[in-house]
Amino acid sequence: MSVLRRVTILTRKEIELVDITPEIVRTVESSGVEDGTVFVLSLHTTTGLAVNEGLPDLEADIADFLAGLVPEERPYRHARFLHSDGQMAINAPAHLRGSMLGFEAFFPVAGGKIVKGSRQTVYFVELDGPQERTFAIHVVGEPGGGGGRD
Amino acid sequence: MIDAHAHPLMVRELVEGDPALARAVREVWGLLFPPQPLEVFLREMDEAGVDRAVLLPVDCTTAHGCCLPGNEAIARLAERSDRFIGFASVDPALPDAERRLERAVRGLGLRGLKLDPALQRFDPGDRERAFPLYRLCGELGVPVVVHAGMSWAPRGLASFARPFLLEEAVQSFPGVNFVLPHLGWPWTGEALMLALKYRNVFLDTSVIYARTPREALAKVVGEGIGVPALEGSIPGQLLFGSNYPRQDMRRAVRGLKSLGLSDALYRAATAGNAARLLGLGGGAR
Repeated sequence: MSVLRRVTILTRKEIELVDITPEIVRTVESSGVEDGTVFVLSLHTTTGLAVNEGLPDLEADIADFLAGLVPEERPYRHARFLHSDGQMAINAPAHLRGSMLGFEAFFPVAGGKIVKGSRQTVYFVELDGPQERTFAIHVVGEPGGGGGRD
Repeated sequence: MIDAHAHPLMVRELVEGDPALARAVREVWGLLFPPQPLEVFLREMDEAGVDRAVLLPVDCTTAHGCCLPGNEAIARLAERSDRFIGFASVDPALPDAERRLERAVRGLGLRGLKLDPALQRFDPGDRERAFPLYRLCGELGVPVVVHAGMSWAPRGLASFARPFLLEEAVQSFPGVNFVLPHLGWPWTGEALMLALKYRNVFLDTSVIYARTPREALAKVVGEGIGVPALEGSIPGQLLFGSNYPRQDMRRAVRGLKSLGLSDALYRAATAGNAARLLGLGGGAR
């Protein structure tokens, strides 16, 4: 059994950690999958996914540290007119920050619920905002109610 | 802060309901990435620290069979948010261009005229086609933005966008304020020449050359015309412009900040000069 859901959000900041844990939990619990895996994927190249403790101070620390690790001003090759877009490609730092985070997360699903630590929060990480963004939640596994278990 | 140069061509609410506009944005203007909701435009302004943005259309009816977008669409956007300052555009080749401009300003409440000789394919020094529009701008008390310098639009022709083509017009209409965008690059010297000589010529900083806005402005202004020339000679004629969405608004602001302008010139370029040009009073919300 496979349930795929796309979720679209509007971000507000250039770098922003958006808590998407409730969306994932809700999707798993309504999917009908009893035992399996939930995959979460960003559909962009200047965003990331991160799992960490859901505290505002840590969110700010992560955002500041990412900005510091990949400085805005360096002689990036990706600082040119991008003919395939018709705009200046001047967002190399966002791409590099995203490559450090990765674009996916996954968790087991058991008894129809996500298996994750109580302090684990799943963040969609905007790195070139504000923008409209979409992530996918894909729940794959065996259905409940006896179906698919024999 | 006022961004004196933005184009609302990737606003989803505008583009998705108008297939002809969507095609023109791709094929004439050359923007090929997905449009975003209007709310994202406003949030980008927030994040960049921009209070208000001047929305510039281009009427390319004769040259390309399209408006990018129409004056009514600009007026509707300006009605949706007082953070938008809508300009009009008319096609100088149309026989009723003056009537259209008068209607856009007096009827729709638009605050200035945008012409793009490179896309509209006309000589901005043409006495028959262009001068009547400049004269009308003077009568209406609105400024005119005349594209100058390289055109990144695939259908634009830079040969119509040499700043010196405007000198006779600037000289003939001293009561009309002319804005030359993009610092006129690669003819920045010509644009500066006009601004140095004529007090009714303004330059906006929306240069798109190469690299980041910080590097482009460092090259074109810092190593080219020099900050001291701006500080000493045309402090009242410089406007901040991003050329959004061709260029990121946030990084355009950072580029201007990195130039090392005096506080007085930075404030003038980002608020005071545009407020005076547009008759806005305070300059920012």
